Order: sequence, then structure tokens, then C-alpha cells
Amino acid sequence: MEAQSQALLEAQSQALQVEIASLRGLHQHRERSMAMQFEGRMQDALLSLSGKLGTEEAVSKLRAEVEQMEEDVTRQTGMNGIRLTSCTVKTLHKSDRGLEQQHTLAGSCLDLPFQVEFKLFEAQNKTITEMDIVLDTDDMLISPFVSRAEEDCDLPQFFRTLRYFSERLEDRRRTFQHFQEKYPSVVSLPEGSGSEVMNLIHPQLPGCVLAVHWSVAVSKEGDVTAQIHLLPRVPQTVHNMDSSRTLEGAAESFHSLLTTLGTEAALESLLLALSTGH
Amino acid sequence: MDTTRSLLSVILSELEMRVKKRQQRPPQQNRVEELKAKVEALVLQRDQLKAEIEANESVQKLRNLDPERSTLDGGDGSDRSVNSQLLQLMTRHAQLKDLLNAHHLIGGYDIIKTCQGKGVCVSIATLYRGVYLERYSLEIDVAPVLRIARHDVPPFVPLDRLAVRGGPLHTDFQGFLGTLSRHLNAYAGRKQQLKLVKEQHQSVEVMESNAPCSILVLMMTLPKKNVAVLCKLEYSEPTRCLPERVTVHSEDEELPETTQWKQNCTLLMETPVHEALASLIRNGVIK
Repeated sequence: MEAQSQALLEAQSQALQVEIASLRGLHQHRERSMAMQFEGRMQDALLSLSGKLGTEEAVSKLRAEVEQMEEDVTRQTGMNGIRLTSCTVKTLHKSDRGLEQQHTLAGSCLDLPFQVEFKLFEAQNKTITEMDIVLDTDDMLISPFVSRAEEDCDLPQFFRTLRYFSERLEDRRRTFQHFQEKYPSVVSLPEGSGSEVMNLIHPQLPGCVLAVHWSVAVSKEGDVTAQIHLLPRVPQTVHNMDSSRTLEGAAESFHSLLTTLGTEAALESLLLALSTGH
Repeated sequence: MDTTRSLLSVILSELEMRVKKRQQRPPQQNRVEELKAKVEALVLQRDQLKAEIEANESVQKLRNLDPERSTLDGGDGSDRSVNSQLLQLMTRHAQLKDLLNAHHLIGGYDIIKTCQGKGVCVSIATLYRGVYLERYSLEIDVAPVLRIARHDVPPFVPLDRLAVRGGPLHTDFQGFLGTLSRHLNAYAGRKQQLKLVKEQHQSVEVMESNAPCSILVLMMTLPKKNVAVLCKLEYSEPTRCLPERVTVHSEDEELPETTQWKQNCTLLMETPVHEALASLIRNGVIK
């Protein structure tokens, strides 16, 4: 009798072990498409789904935790200045040596959309490899930095610079828009307020253009600087008439105006001179 | 309270009885008991796995339906069972967990409110070439005055200057963290480079280095003549991990003036030191 029940139990235990192994395999396979962790409140929720714990309580506790997390995400979004719109994590490899996951993030920094993919290997410390960045911008001046960041796999440094960069772009856009609204007869933005160029044209001298060229440069190491130049474009006939060579010195004079007054005030005084002339 | 206590005593006496029974039983019966317990544990484990797989499946379905969903309403009335509420909460929980994790990775910050909401605890990650290194933490009081209560930032990082009244800590918290993070990351980068030099290039001797890793003196040897070359790297910009100045001294006084060594100095200024040394060794310039 005893021997019989012992054999039965042994068989049962073996069958269960086989079943568990196959379920584990299935679970791991699923994790490859989306990794999920069941700890803490999530574990409770799981137990309650399988009828082992009171559901109402699990719902209210999980809800409280979710609310707390929503708050954390909002705070972290503000802190980083980065809005994430999608975020997927796939498990590539899991063993005693560590866990390797593929992360795909998409979002925006102010008006600048981005997508970043990388592999994260977690063992004693975390290591990022194979970072790939897609930035939706026409600004080529950031691309050497982007390549360097991909090479170095320096994720926070990339996002820190991206924030400085998009803030400078936003400054430029706001300034261009401000002057266009204030001096509509003089200012034109041929490629929109997001572009590098603002043209200043005196209404009575349609052929003469003072182009304000405002670029935002990023060094390979991630330093962001704005570079503003004034480029006069006039027909040859006007050039010939300019006996005191005012035009030739315009770029330089504007530069010294910039360093003494700052960007906005320098542009303002230039525009004031142009608009009072007519 | 009383019911809990009486329940507890019932359980305890039950346990006591079981122990006694077990002690009286012959060894074979013990084996059966063991097997029974094992089977029970296995059943539990199987059920848990099954539930995880099912939950994972349902949550994945929900996520695929609407990856951007932030409301937790259950659609039409019939679908508002407690279980579906729970599933939706679990979906959102999983999304938020991934989002938070992603924010920690990309920002390098982890910010938690301290108890009673009187302040925040900020932890800043450092990394070099994709490897996450030490984290540094600051406990910042918000009320009654904004100040750093405690921290483990190394003393040579100019935290006082950043946190001075009217400084970045008070005017622009994001900027403060940005600057602090640049200082810490540059330090971590210099320290890691020094570590890699010691690990990878035993033929190069580190003669001198300091705590902020802003000065590094290396002794190298020219392969043929066995002439020693002393190379000093000065990292005077604390937010960079490449040197501002590289100087070379040698017994051969003309050596620093040669075109080759001027190029070598440029290489050391533009490339992380362990990699620059690897390239010099590879090209047979030094041993």
C-alpha cells in the first residue's frame, strides 16, 4: 500500500516537473516578444486572477501603486525634459550569467522626435551595446555628435545634449517668430520659423537681402553653441554703388553688436534701423 | 484581535500534532509525506507559471489594442468585471514600469520623494562607454529652505559652487543636475581610463595620479634604445575626460621636438589614454 502510493506520487511529481519545464519554455518564448515582471503588487494581482487572493483588495492596492508610478513618470519626464511615447523591451537572452534585453524607445525632446534602440546587458553592472539613434531633424550639425554617441553608447550624455540642442533650436524658433510678428514688412522666413535663415529685406530695396544665418552647432563631445552670422546679398550694381564699403564690413559690425548686446538686442537694433528707414 | 489569537493557537497546536505524528511514523511514511509535500509545491509552481503566462498574454493583447492608453476604463459595461479591471491595471503597471526604467536609463537620474514629501532623493548614474559605473546620491531638502542635506559626491566636485544661493540649485534644478552629472561622468570616465591603462598596459608605468584623476604621469619605454619617456597628461577641464595639455620629457632631449612625438601628443589629446597607448604600442613607438 505504502509502496504503491509512493510510486504514484513519484510519477505525479515527475509529470509535474515535465509540465513545468515545458511551461517555462513557453514563458521564455513569450518574453522574447515582451518582457514582464511579476513582483510585489503584480504578484498579488496574479494570485488574485488565479483565485488565490481577494480580488477587490488586489485591485485597490494595485491601483494605488499605479497612481504612484504615474506621478513618478511625470516627475521623471519633467526632470529629463524628454517625453517618451513608446517603449518596448524584449528579452534576448537570459541565463545565470546575466540578462540581455533589447530596448526600443521613441519620443520627443521639445519639438524634436527621436527613436533610440540599444541592447542592455545586466550582470554585475549594466552595459549598453549596439546603440542606434534616429533623429528627425534637417540639422546636419548634430550628426557627428550622434555618430560619436552611438559609438560610445553613452545614453545619458546623448539625451543631455539633445535637450540642450533642442532648447537652442526652440530659442531660435521663438526669436525668429517674434521678429516676424513685430516687423512683418521687413522679416521673411523663407523656410519657416524652424529653419536657420531669417531674411531681412528693406521694402524699398527688394533686391537687397540681409540674411541672418543662425545655426546651432554641437561638438563631438556634446557642447552646444549657437553661431549667428549676417550675410548681405545684394546685386552687383548695388555693390558698385557702395563706395564706403559698408556692406563688406556689415558682417563684422553685426558680430561686434552681438557680443556687446546679445542676440535679441542686436537683431532688434538692426531691424529698428531697417524699418525706420522707410 | 481575539479571533486572530485563537486562530493562531489552533494553527500552532495543529502544527505540534503534525510534528509528533511525523516523529512516530516509520521512515517509509516520512518518504511518502515528503513526496506529497513536493507534489504540492510543484502544483503551486505550475499554477503560478500558468497564471503568469495567461496574464502576460492578456496584458499583451491589451497593450496591442492601444499602446498609448492611459485611462483605465473598461469599455462597455459588460467588460467591467473586477478581473478585467485588474488586467487593465496590470497592463498599465507593466507600461509604467518600462517607462520608469527607460527614464532612469536615458536620464541617468533616479528621483524619489523622501518621506512626508519634505525633500527628494536624487541618484545620479555615471557611465563610460556604455558601462554603468558608480551612482552618487544627494538628499535635498525642499522646505523650509532648499538645501543639500546629505550627499556622497567626491569633495573635488564643486558642489558648493553649484549649490550656492542664487546658483543653479536654486534657479534651475534641471541645469544643476545636468552640470553635476557632467562633472561626475567626466570624473568616472577619467577614472575608468586610468583603470584600463593599468589593466591593459603593464609595460607602461603609472608614476603619478591624483584623486580627481586630473593629472596622470606615465613612464613609457622606447623599444630599441631602451630610452625612458615621461608623459604628463593634464585634465584641467573637470567636465571633460580628455586632457587639455600633454607634455613629454625624455633622457633624449631632442625627442619631444620631433614630428613623430608631436603627433603622439596630439593623439593623446584626442583619444582616450588607454586607446592611445594601445595604438602607440601597436605601431612599435613604445614597448
